[in-house]
Amino acid sequence: MADYREAPLATRPKTLDPNEYFNLSPLQRRAEEERGAIRANLKRQYQTQLNNPHRKELIEDPALTRWVHARANPYSYFKPTYKTSLLGVMFGVAPVVFLYYLFKTDRV
Amino acid sequence: MRVSSSDRQQQPVNMAGVGFRRWAQALAKGKGSGISALLSGCRAASGMTNNDLPGPYPKTPEEKAAAAKKYNLRVEDYEPYPDNGEGYGDYPKLEDRSQHERDPWYGWDHPDLRRNWGEPMHWHFDMYIRNRVDTSPSPVPWNTMCKQLFGFIGFMLFMFYVGEIMPSYQPVADKQYPYNNLYLERGGDPEKQPEEVKHYEI
Repeated sequence: MADYREAPLATRPKTLDPNEYFNLSPLQRRAEEERGAIRANLKRQYQTQLNNPHRKELIEDPALTRWVHARANPYSYFKPTYKTSLLGVMFGVAPVVFLYYLFKTDRV
Repeated sequence: MRVSSSDRQQQPVNMAGVGFRRWAQALAKGKGSGISALLSGCRAASGMTNNDLPGPYPKTPEEKAAAAKKYNLRVEDYEPYPDNGEGYGDYPKLEDRSQHERDPWYGWDHPDLRRNWGEPMHWHFDMYIRNRVDTSPSPVPWNTMCKQLFGFIGFMLFMFYVGEIMPSYQPVADKQYPYNNLYLERGGDPEKQPEEVKHYEI
């Protein structure tokens, strides 16, 4: 596998990355172990719920709920700054004004 | 808990309130947290709580640690979006890599999305699914591709513009008609002698 080349238009899989195996400091190893532990815990929770014969309802995914909530409520954390005001004008005000004048002046 | 009927120390018990409270409790004992929760005014502590939902930008290290735990990330891995009022809150900033780049052979919990249950989702997850944006490496570096494409288009546009300004074609002259410039066909008088039109020089 030393002469492995990635498939065209694909990233190299993490398991075939040589940096994963050589020249690893204990800190990096510890980090990978911790990530693996979190992942294994989540897998265990999911499999327990999935294989529960008494389960009748859908398995709720808290990460999905959090994502939906975050995407639906950006205004709670909105602050008017130069950048946000500029974006607001560019996407919210300018097209309306521009199209208004276009429709009013350029008639068939 | 309804305050009027739960206060038993001094006031006489409101029988109607107690009855209602018992009915509500019976409802709450049943499975499901929807309607019964609404009616009884209390709900189970299991499932999603308000602490599990995204919150404001974390400022202290304790808040950062709590947020990392909430999102199932290591404290060192957790990096919130910069706090510039664009509406992200404490949502983690994950790598901008599409689901195309994930290992197709690993045993994902959701194989079509190439995602495990409970894994933090990218802010733009719906953009990075396998039907949409693909961040896989391109055959040639991206900048090279951009330069080649826009260079070619720009060059062609420039040459067409030059051709409009300075057109180049075979030399042409006015069309020469016979019979004295078609004198009779143009309605000239047959009695009169037309003037001679010579298209040649000897």
